[in-house]
Amino acid sequence: MKLSITFDRLRWEEKALKDAAASMGLSASLVDAKGLAIPVPGKTAELGDAVLQRCVGHYRSLLLSRTLEGVGLKVVNRYAVAEVCTNKLATTIALSRAKVPTPTTFLALSSETAEKAAEELGFPLVMKPFSGSWGRMVTIVRDRPTLRAIIEYKEELANPLEQMYYLQEYIKRPPRDIRAIVAGDQIVACVHRIAPRGEWRTNVARGGTSEAFKPDPELKEMVHKASEAVGGGVLGVDAMESSEGYTVHEVNNTVEFRGAQSAVQTNIPEKIMRYVSTEVKR
Amino acid sequence: MKAECAECGAAISVPDDVIVGEIVSCKDCSSEYEVAEVSGGGVILKAAEEAGEDWGE
Repeated sequence: MKLSITFDRLRWEEKALKDAAASMGLSASLVDAKGLAIPVPGKTAELGDAVLQRCVGHYRSLLLSRTLEGVGLKVVNRYAVAEVCTNKLATTIALSRAKVPTPTTFLALSSETAEKAAEELGFPLVMKPFSGSWGRMVTIVRDRPTLRAIIEYKEELANPLEQMYYLQEYIKRPPRDIRAIVAGDQIVACVHRIAPRGEWRTNVARGGTSEAFKPDPELKEMVHKASEAVGGGVLGVDAMESSEGYTVHEVNNTVEFRGAQSAVQTNIPEKIMRYVSTEVKR
Repeated sequence: MKAECAECGAAISVPDDVIVGEIVSCKDCSSEYEVAEVSGGGVILKAAEEAGEDWGE
């Protein structure tokens, strides 16, 4: 079994995954996706039998996974999982259908209905792009004048996606959230991500720091349900502590774990590669 | 290993164990480069892709 780890920007995580594979005696190569041209139909011998998809660009990741699966390679995570996780609305729908508590969310298809949705949600509320990561463009909207100002800005943008709105209930939570790293049915690591001073968002990419903790049974069950809801695999489940219990707001399918690894003793990349090696042999 | 920043001309230090695909940056001007090739004790850099709107985890 020859495995490729595809990337488009080589991060600490991809190197750690390759090292973990080597330590397990697993043949895994790092392959720059930017250097690929894949014939359809055709063979992609250079990639081996299976691929661990680690591209940072969502569109590149989706197109590559779809194509590789199409020409017969096994891909982790599966394209169907990536399709759900790279679209926040699809994630919300998947979580909601699986009865995983998730913040109330509106899709508004115009600026007028965005204001109506905001009335329903109340202020503050959270506005997010449909795709994207690292907390980028995730905005807490504290009042109606701010919402109108954001809408005015977005109306000037050419991208049609900017004329539609993903608006979400604001969850009162401590200045931290939860990141659970999952590989199949195993919760590999669980950390609190603590927002840096002066920042509302907790993303490590925004300066958030990680502290390990042991998940209680309620959280474990919710993480498993959230993982199953999007189709399972190697995932980062993000949850918040609300006054009514845990609520899951996102699931990441190319999970970064450098921050979490700094806080836990568990060898995260090794656990991930153990899962991947089992999964690709199925 | 050393490489020259195409933007400002400063010397960029590249670790000896660097691998193709890794990102290095210029300490003087913060320009980012991707390692395109490592051979014969030298390294060839190319401009790194700029972060896209769809980048993330």
